[in-house]
Amino acid sequence: MINKNPYIPAPVEITKIIDEVDTHDIKTFRLAFLNKEDEANFKYLPGQFAELSIYGKGESPIGIASSPTQTGYIEFTVQRAGAVVPGLVTSALHDLDEGAKIGIRGPLGNSWPIEFLEKKNIVVVGGGFAFTTLRSLINYMLHDDNRKRFGEVTVIYGARNPGLLLYKDELAAWEKRDDIKSIITVDKGDEAWRGREGFVPAVCKETAPSPKNAVAVICGPPVMIKFTLPVFFELGFSKENILTSLEMRMKCGIGKCGRCNVGYKYVCSDGPVFSLAELDNLPRDF
Amino acid sequence: MLKKISINKISELAAALMGKGLLLAPVKENSGYNFAEIKNPNQVDLDFHNTIASPKAAFFPHKEDFIKYETGKPIGAASVIGLSLPPTFLFGVRPCDVKSFGIMDIHFNASGIIDPYWKQRREVTTIFGYAFDLEKPAETEEFYQTLGIGAADPEGSDVFMIKKGDDLLLDSVTAKGEKLLAELKNFAEGKVTDKKYYDEYIKKGREYKTRSMCLEPEAITKKLEDLFHNTDFWMGVSSACLSCGICTFVCPTCYCFDICDDTLFGQGTRRRVWDACMFTDFTLEASGHNPRTHVYQRLRQKVCHKYSFHVRKYGVISCVGCGRCTKHCPVNIDIYSIIEDAMKA
Amino acid sequence: MTDFKQIENNLKKEAKRLLEAGEVTVVLAYGRGYDEKHSMPFAAKTSADVEKLVFNEYCNFNMARYLMRYPCGTKIAIAAKAADSRAIVQLIQEEKVRREDLIILGIPAYGMKNQKTDEVVDSKTTCGLYNPPLYNILLGEEVHGQPVVSPYEVLAEYEAMDKEARWAFWKKEFDKCIRCYACRKACPMCYCDPCFIDQSKPRWADKAPQSPGNMMYHLTRFHHLAGRCIDCGECSRACPVDIPLYLFHKKVAKECEEMFGQAAGMKLEDKPVLVDFRVEDSDKILE
Repeated sequence: MINKNPYIPAPVEITKIIDEVDTHDIKTFRLAFLNKEDEANFKYLPGQFAELSIYGKGESPIGIASSPTQTGYIEFTVQRAGAVVPGLVTSALHDLDEGAKIGIRGPLGNSWPIEFLEKKNIVVVGGGFAFTTLRSLINYMLHDDNRKRFGEVTVIYGARNPGLLLYKDELAAWEKRDDIKSIITVDKGDEAWRGREGFVPAVCKETAPSPKNAVAVICGPPVMIKFTLPVFFELGFSKENILTSLEMRMKCGIGKCGRCNVGYKYVCSDGPVFSLAELDNLPRDF
Repeated sequence: MLKKISINKISELAAALMGKGLLLAPVKENSGYNFAEIKNPNQVDLDFHNTIASPKAAFFPHKEDFIKYETGKPIGAASVIGLSLPPTFLFGVRPCDVKSFGIMDIHFNASGIIDPYWKQRREVTTIFGYAFDLEKPAETEEFYQTLGIGAADPEGSDVFMIKKGDDLLLDSVTAKGEKLLAELKNFAEGKVTDKKYYDEYIKKGREYKTRSMCLEPEAITKKLEDLFHNTDFWMGVSSACLSCGICTFVCPTCYCFDICDDTLFGQGTRRRVWDACMFTDFTLEASGHNPRTHVYQRLRQKVCHKYSFHVRKYGVISCVGCGRCTKHCPVNIDIYSIIEDAMKA
Repeated sequence: MTDFKQIENNLKKEAKRLLEAGEVTVVLAYGRGYDEKHSMPFAAKTSADVEKLVFNEYCNFNMARYLMRYPCGTKIAIAAKAADSRAIVQLIQEEKVRREDLIILGIPAYGMKNQKTDEVVDSKTTCGLYNPPLYNILLGEEVHGQPVVSPYEVLAEYEAMDKEARWAFWKKEFDKCIRCYACRKACPMCYCDPCFIDQSKPRWADKAPQSPGNMMYHLTRFHHLAGRCIDCGECSRACPVDIPLYLFHKKVAKECEEMFGQAAGMKLEDKPVLVDFRVEDSDKILE
């Protein structure tokens, strides 16, 4: 917690804005703390999120896209909402320039369970915009200080088309490494696309990662989850060894306002990371 | 040390408390009684059954301001609104409502991140609990006996008050209460007969009858877990529900809130305000997806949260049987009946 | 005039007949609540449900507000007292529900009482009519010979106040408001999704229970109901802090009736006053 009062945001500056996709509605914001003390207190692990705050608009809970191994800044990849609901905060954020200052509360939530993942083979599966905290996990695992703690790392990441893939430079870099098996796919390629075509569930089936000493970490839109989970069950992954990250409407982010519960758990503080075994014990109320 | 004061001298006690800080007590409004800041000691009136809204606003106000900001100004110009609280006396709280503070303490003050606003308000407040009048019958809607709360239960109060004829007996329950009673000069000492009456009253309070059923927290928790996906049951009990927020706002143990930035002409306040899981857009997500679009899903959430999820998370039922939700519901939805039906289902 | 017990028997009889014949799939009426005084809105779907139907002097609920919950085309029987029937007429005028999908079980009611205060529910807080203007079947004899008082008579004291006094009056009343939105939810004509107060772009009023948000909410709602409010009084009965919402609704209704010569929810062939334009419409609204 970066503030004695958990409702007060700490000031940060937007030092860099990266336009991630060709529809220009997903941007990565690189933030630097204005106060050294806040920076020192913001200790996070992959999987956690923070509330990004703009006075006059509100707050938005966004997954942390950078890895804690990247020092001096934190990154958030934010989609501009506005198709269905006004998206006050995200659209205000998208309208800001580098140098603008906003607020941040965090780190919030639980993280990908690093200890549980150690010494195991990790299969990371992501679809579309849901790849942000998975990217944080992958970069964390790939870092020199950490790589030896984990077994084989397989990444299967898909988007609707090549333009919508996030972190394109990093994806290219991963494909060149030999300590990570990186499979990038698109539903439909374009003329320039030389990579794989296929839906994520199908690619998972083809790749057929072994469940032996393995944990699958899966994030994606509901339709992708619906068809990917059965593939992993069939491959022999048990529910304790399939992890996901839930999204719910949030406000306080600290388990107090009562809004984001699924059964007796608050997604903001008992989650957002849950194993499928845990979700089985909760009502289907999300 | 038992103290005694004549009821027609209550305004003197009120004046003494007002001299020490802020006095909150039930005040008669045209629709009934509600806790309010006492401006005139003669306003204090102990001749009520219970207030329309619960006294939770003393610790969890309907609106709590966090930050003042100006749009267009740098973030550093925003200022945190500090809480400067006077010593506060919450006077005339019925035992079921006092119990609710302990339940909310678990959520705000004892789990994970501590809520600084709740914590500070609790610390500065001395609670004068007030036993129900055992001579009068309970209201139809009340059922605190089911939740194991006695009509004259001093638990949770700092000072506990019991009426004896034209007098009011007061005893300290906590060190905080004892210190305050010693400081106040308005009392006579209670006699041996008064003490006997006081102790007997508390005992009789445990037998005092309200609507009651045998309710084990573990049993209802499990029952509601099993019933969660029984759509027919939930549609049946919720068909009349309007999806307003009255039950939530009068309830002593409901704590949902919203955080919003309220701006007018460039100046604004970030604050929290009460919210209700009963509202249609409570769980509406930015994608447009809403897990609880139907009334039955929201009423299911309300009932299951109070009688199942809260037990799983915090070990206690989040309800004190005060009956306010039933009493003030515009369509007479009765949570007691719903729980009864759930146990039988 | 039929007594309420007889109306209850007729209600059960008709509900049973209609459900068994398959003419309707649901009967919107009243059922037993947690005690005799506290009945509840009830949707009967089976013969077993019909046994639970009740009618007594406390059944003030306006069942028309539940019509919007059913998909278009659902065949519904609905119990309707005078103002409830007007709400149905208004909803048909606004094309939210179709006449042919409804079987209106009209209830001529004299002697309704407020369950909170036991006071008589009459033209002071409702439209004051006893007989429903539109129905398929009447569940009792029409009420005749009882005093018919204008629903605007109660406005005398209010109208005597000048503008400043009225503003002060409503400011004081709305300072009590806790923004529970029971008034909106109890109202059969408040079916907008989303309601203006829930919108964030633009944000019409803030959420805190204080002025100016409270004023903005109520005054806007009153005006959204201009020419549409049928004076059932449900909003005022629902209000937990007893704000006399009916006063403002009646005042607006009176002005609409004077300007446009039409009261809400009386005739199927009418169009809602603020939707319909006629050359002869009064220009008073521009003053």
